[in-house]
Amino acid sequence: MGMNLGIDFSSLLQWNDFTVDLVAFAVKFAILVGGLLQLPPLLVWIERRVPALMQRRRGPNRVGIFKWRLYGLLQSLADTVKLIFKEEVVPDGAHKVFYHLAPVFCVFPAFLVACAIPYGPDLTIYGYKIPLSVVRMDVGFLFIFAISSLAVYGVSLAGWASNNKYSLMGSLRASAQMISYEIPLGMSLIPIVLIYGTLDLGKIVEAQTSFFQWGVFAAPLSLLIFVICMFAETNRAPFDLAEAEGELVAGFHTEYNSAKFAAFFLGEYVSMFVLSCLASTVFFGGWQVPFVSYDALVAMLGSPNFVAPVGILMLLLKASFFMWVYIWVRWTLPRFRYDQLMSLGWKFMLPIGLANVVGTAIVLAVLRFK
Amino acid sequence: MNPYIPVIIVLIFGVVLGGILSGLAAFLGPKKYSREKMDPYECGVPKVTAGSEKMSVKFYLTAILFILFDIETVFLYLWARTFKELGWLGIIEIAVFVLILVVGYIYVVRRGALEWD
Amino acid sequence: MEAFYFVPEMLFYAISGLILLSSIMVVAARNPVTSAIFLVVDLFFVAALYAQLDAHFTAAIQVLVYAGAIVVLFVFVIMILNLKPDALRGIRFSLGEALVLLITLAGFVIVGSELAHTAPDLTMPGNLGSAAIEMAGGNTYVVAMRMFTAFLWPFEIASVLILLAIVACVMIAKKDKRVTKS
Repeated sequence: MGMNLGIDFSSLLQWNDFTVDLVAFAVKFAILVGGLLQLPPLLVWIERRVPALMQRRRGPNRVGIFKWRLYGLLQSLADTVKLIFKEEVVPDGAHKVFYHLAPVFCVFPAFLVACAIPYGPDLTIYGYKIPLSVVRMDVGFLFIFAISSLAVYGVSLAGWASNNKYSLMGSLRASAQMISYEIPLGMSLIPIVLIYGTLDLGKIVEAQTSFFQWGVFAAPLSLLIFVICMFAETNRAPFDLAEAEGELVAGFHTEYNSAKFAAFFLGEYVSMFVLSCLASTVFFGGWQVPFVSYDALVAMLGSPNFVAPVGILMLLLKASFFMWVYIWVRWTLPRFRYDQLMSLGWKFMLPIGLANVVGTAIVLAVLRFK
Repeated sequence: MNPYIPVIIVLIFGVVLGGILSGLAAFLGPKKYSREKMDPYECGVPKVTAGSEKMSVKFYLTAILFILFDIETVFLYLWARTFKELGWLGIIEIAVFVLILVVGYIYVVRRGALEWD
Repeated sequence: MEAFYFVPEMLFYAISGLILLSSIMVVAARNPVTSAIFLVVDLFFVAALYAQLDAHFTAAIQVLVYAGAIVVLFVFVIMILNLKPDALRGIRFSLGEALVLLITLAGFVIVGSELAHTAPDLTMPGNLGSAAIEMAGGNTYVVAMRMFTAFLWPFEIASVLILLAIVACVMIAKKDKRVTKS
């Protein structure tokens, strides 16, 4: 009998490089997705409580189970349930396919990019080395930029398919802003490549062994440019021009409601998180613990496998700092005007980014080549 | 394992997740039709002109300049990756490349192509 | 022996099928936005094909520049002009366009015959010396080294081409409003 499908079933039933890779991938990916899906409710809660604190109000604090109110944490849960069970109103003139497809384009790039971040040092289980990023590749940065550049279609399709002139205007603004700031964003990481000589995020983290070898000390200007572009790429305040209520109702997602609106939120929060992780990885040493080298940690804890959870925690801590900056800035700075935003991107960020590359290259060349 | 096999799996998952979220509403929510609800939302005022109008050509200019400078950035990445190995020679090569583009950039600024008014 | 050793081949045919399908949709779709989105899908799967050949750098650039930048321009143009479905229906081939079509076909024939002539080693997609590339320092490194040594002139000429494109697009878009600096 034996129909040969080209599958070697016997090798699937034993541990080898391939099966270990496959199982490790499945486990890592499941954990990552599980974690990322928890992000929006948590962040929405923080984003309501923190400004309340800043403005001396209370913020949501009523929703709870019986008498436990958990500082209003369950408000987000209630809102999620509400969003999912709401009636979906698709406006009459909306495009029948792209209206529904736009949120998909917003969600999948964010998740794909999240897979390229190294969340911790390698695990070693029964002699098999398991890196703690879901996909690891030598083009690192370029993969991240390539995939996140696809998020523009979510925004522009949403506006175009809604058949609302405010949506269209908002989506054109938002997508023009996203592409304009993609260039300084890309340029801000070139000094990092110059310094560490690699595009592989895992290797960049490994190179930042001691505190003063962190990227932020080698390329402080890059960090500044990167953080500014982070805000513009995610359409967050002070660059949330697409959602300027006074002019454009709610921007490209004016006509979206219920679960599709939630999908836009999910995409936005996941990409905020990913950019925060990227900033921590590149500038703040990723999973490295400040002042304690990896080898010292291994000696202290006894096994590299015990260092991994510490590393993951460290990265999450650093990333949450950037997330905090996101929310902090939103309630501190007023919104830019659109022409100011575009001139900032093209006339200031672009030349500064290029000068940063040139300056770093010259300094490095003088130091290294003699 | 080729690193792109996980990428393909993740891609499929991302599309499915987006699709589920996108489709969820259609199955779970109530459906009550009313004529007014289906109109484009313009803060409650009846819509004045058709759904979409012609937009500024500025956006076109932004998009095309983006492509050109994006390509420049990619070349810079290539050079940065081999910075150590190429040494001063690489710096001279990339300097010529960047200088030619800086001329273009100055032209764009001087012609006022980046003014949004 | 690796399980699923058939995967590379199967993937190759699956991806090629998707490329062909989306290419047909690009041409056949009545709505310009549909065409543009299928073009993104098309270019994305071409990148997948590159990735399968272990040309990871080329794959990333394919997505970054083609799918993520050039089609954005197309989408912008469609949105700015507010093209409706079938807006491009009535257009007939002009002499110039027919000429372009002919030149493209000629290019196909030349590249095809060149490929047939040199007969590259197409034994198995995905396994074209990936270990060798890894040894040499990775795909990006190899491409960069070749570009900055053997292909230096094309690289520098590329910058002149980009400069020309910058000047041309500014001249087209800013035709009537010349800003006079005082």
